[in-house]
Formats: sequence, C-alpha cells, structure tokens
Amino acid sequence: MNDLSNLSWSEARDLLRTWRDDNDRRSEEVLQLWKSVLEYNLNKLGGEKFSVLEQVCLAALDCYQIPTVDYCIKQLSNEFPSSLRVKKYYAMRLEAQECYDDALTVLDSLIKKDETNNAPRKRKISILRAQGKNVEAIKELTEYLKIFMSDIEGWQELSDLYIAEQDYNKAAFCVEELILHNPHNHLLHQRYADIRYTQGGYDNVELARGYYCQALKLNQNNLRALYGVYLTSSSIAASPKCTAQKKKEMLKLVDWALLEIKKRYSVVKDTFTDNNIEERLSVLQIS
Amino acid sequence: MSDLLVDSQIRGWVFLPIVVITFLVGIVRHYISILLASQKKIELQQLQDSQVILRSRLLRENSRFIPRSSFLMRRHFFNNEENGYLTQKRPPVTQNMMTDPTMMTDMLKGNVTNVLPMIIIGGWINWMFSGFITTRVPFPLTLRFKPMLQRGIELMHLDASWVSSASWYFLNVFGLRSIYALVLGENNGADQARQMQDQMSGAAMAMPPDPKVAFKAEWEALEIIDHQWGLQEVENQIVYPLNSC
Repeated sequence: MNDLSNLSWSEARDLLRTWRDDNDRRSEEVLQLWKSVLEYNLNKLGGEKFSVLEQVCLAALDCYQIPTVDYCIKQLSNEFPSSLRVKKYYAMRLEAQECYDDALTVLDSLIKKDETNNAPRKRKISILRAQGKNVEAIKELTEYLKIFMSDIEGWQELSDLYIAEQDYNKAAFCVEELILHNPHNHLLHQRYADIRYTQGGYDNVELARGYYCQALKLNQNNLRALYGVYLTSSSIAASPKCTAQKKKEMLKLVDWALLEIKKRYSVVKDTFTDNNIEERLSVLQIS
Repeated sequence: MSDLLVDSQIRGWVFLPIVVITFLVGIVRHYISILLASQKKIELQQLQDSQVILRSRLLRENSRFIPRSSFLMRRHFFNNEENGYLTQKRPPVTQNMMTDPTMMTDMLKGNVTNVLPMIIIGGWINWMFSGFITTRVPFPLTLRFKPMLQRGIELMHLDASWVSSASWYFLNVFGLRSIYALVLGENNGADQARQMQDQMSGAAMAMPPDPKVAFKAEWEALEIIDHQWGLQEVENQIVYPLNSC
C-alpha cells in the first residue's frame, strides 16, 4: 500500500487506466492515489482527466468520502453542465447518504429525459435493494428486463434476488439466461447446478449432476464442482428411482470424484493424512 | 519533346492557395457539423426490439447448454402463435418518414454541411482560378486521363500528365482525407468521401429498419432449431481423459 503514494503522476495515471480497463474497482487504492498524487496534478492529465474524475468519484462513493465526491461532481458538471451521466453521480451521492427520496426524484427526472438510458433505472432498483425491499426490487427488475432483455448484470441481480427470496425455479431461469449469454463461464454452470441441487428431487439432482460435470469440464480446478459431482451422484445412486445400470455408473462417478478430491488435497498438503473425507462429505449431503 | 515552363507565380497564387482553401474549408465544415449535430433519438420500442433479436439469436446459438424444457419455454415466449414477441402484429412504421420533422431537419443539415460548400467553393474556385496549369504528375498518362486531370483546359496537344487548377481542387478535396484524420482525429466531419458515401446510400439508410422483416427471419430460424442437449454424456468426457493421464 505504501509504495502507491510514491508513484509519479504518470505512473499513477497508467495504473488507474489499467484498473479502469480491467473493470477493477479497488476503491481504497484509487482514493489513495488520488489523495497522494493526482489531486494536485489533475490538469496534467489532459483528456483523460474526466475519466479519472469519474473513477475517483465512484471510489469515493464506495469509501464514503463525500467531500471528494462533491469535488469530482463539481469538476465534472463544470465541464458538462447538462450531462445526464454527471447527474447520475449526483443521485448516487444522495443515495450514499441515504437520502433515498431525493435520489429517486433525481433519477426519475433522468429517466424522463432519456427513456433509453438504462443506468438511472438500474440505480432505482439498487435503491430498492439497499432499502431491503426485495419483492419490490424484483418487480421493478422484471419490468426493466422486459425492455433491456440482454442486460447480463440485470439477470444476475435478479437471480440473486430470487435466491434471497428462495424462489429457486425463477432463479434458475435467470441463470439459464446468463448461461445463454456466456456459455463458457464455469461459475455460471456451477451456480445453476447449485440451485438445482438445492431444489432437490430426482430430476433436479440429475440436472445438477450434468451441470457440475460441465463446470468441471470447463475448469478442471473447480473443487466446488467436484464436490458437487460427488454429492449429486451419490444422491442419485441412493435414490429408489435409479435403475441398476445407472446406479453402477453413478457409483463409479462417486469413486472417481472422491479420488480426485483426495488427490487435490494431497497435492496441496503433503502431510495430509486425514482419511475421513467421506464422513465429512456426508455432512454436506442434503437428505 | 520540349517542356512547358510554368510561371513560378502560379505556385504562389494558384497551387498553394487551393490546397490551403480546401484544407481550411474542411476544418470549418468539421466544426459546423459538430455544431449542427443532433443526437439521434432512439425509441424505447426500437431498443427493445433489438434486444429481443439479440437474445433470440443467443438462444439459437447456445441452446444446447440449457435443458430442453427451458429451451421450449423460451421459444414459446418468442414464437407462439397468439402473443409471441416475434409473431406480434405491428403497425407499419415507414409511412411517416416525410412528415417527421426531425428527419427533415437532419436532411437539411446534411445538405448545408455537405452539398452547399461543395457547390459554392467548387464554383468559386472554378471561376477564380480557371485555366491555370498548376502542376504535373511525374509519369506519363494516356489520353483518357485528360478530362479527369485537365478540367477547364481544352487543349488537344497538351500532355496528359499536366494538371489543371480545377482538377487540382478535386484531387485535394478527396486527397486530404488522411491529413484531416491526422489533424481532427478519426471519424471527423470534414471527410468528403465518407459524406459522399452517406449521401449515396442516404435514401436507404434513413428509413428506420422495419422490425417485421427481422422478426420474420428470426422467427423462422428459431422455429427450425432442433434442441440438442449438450450435457448428456459430459461425465464420460471428464472422467476418462483425467483417469488415463
């Protein structure tokens, strides 16, 4: 952390640019860089000045540094007096201070000005979420997704909300949507399997097993998926609906998964002597 | 063949002024087009349509990663007979193009920044600097190039590699493109060639794309998709390769 303060302004600028490009939030570091270096060298940044100001504004909101936020907003609105984007930051400031009603009026006016801009709508939903009104947030978010159907973040948020409300079928639908958008992300497959496994029942567990396997195929280091394979296949093998042929296959898969898990642990820890992994796994099992 | 000797004053009073004038006019046009530019308003409906198309395309491409029932549910949403998104009836949108005032002002602005300067400056240069031989290309050319390079000079026996002032103006108009890109950045408003292309396809481009056609195509493509569940044998794929190595 300490060497951040000793950077020159151009190094700090490059660092911030990398973070911006990688979608790295790192709010505390950004703020530290700003305080120690960039605040005094703002005009040297040229055209990049405003992107940096935006980044710092967000970081300051994360860390609740309202004076810094105000400074950034003031700089930005001096340059772009009628920008909706800058007004959105103002609404976010109000939101951070929990003046939700004022923030909502600002956001409503933004939506009225440009209906096709999705950022203020998303902020409105996040306010509902911050207030703990999950049901209303779900309602708003479904309305939002009816129009902005291919907004991945929206679907992700909705699936989280449904999981929080324990509406697993709908959460699964949202994750399916995410998988359609990004079929090569193993974490999405894993999440889908988690949901199906939580729902329980023979068909769902069978589905979960398939998705855990897929997650494992996409990323062989996914230990959670490996555990998932073990749990689902042993639960299928134990189910009365399972045919003898299938049971044999499942038991084979169980053995394999167990072996793999043990292998992983022995790689990490040479002195791993605990042979009770099976026992401890059974604790995880949903009966 | 005896060479022509061109008066060096022509360089100072014709050749260079044409370059400078064309360049400056391009710069001015860039800033005027920035001033006049109006932000394109997108309708909410249009946005929704494009997102629907995007989503249904993704459904087609990646359907093997979701269970069959989920796929059928989504297809039903897009394609069902009564109220599927892709089969719904829409009032035709193309009729009101001429009555739409924003459309008209856009066209007017396009004309003000492109066609008018072209005519006025071109005409003025033609009148002001007519009849000069300004430069010569350093290689021999055939007679066919004469109308292109020697506009405004009708001399039968003049070698085709000489360039007249009016042609020099046109060469500049189209040739300064990379200089503008250097000075004003990419996608600037001074680029005549790009503007000309816009003008050419303008009639076709200005028409808002009819969602019906796109919907019909998407509907058809989605209808013929046969859902293949891609995760059927996936455990064999992970178990055996790992075991063998």
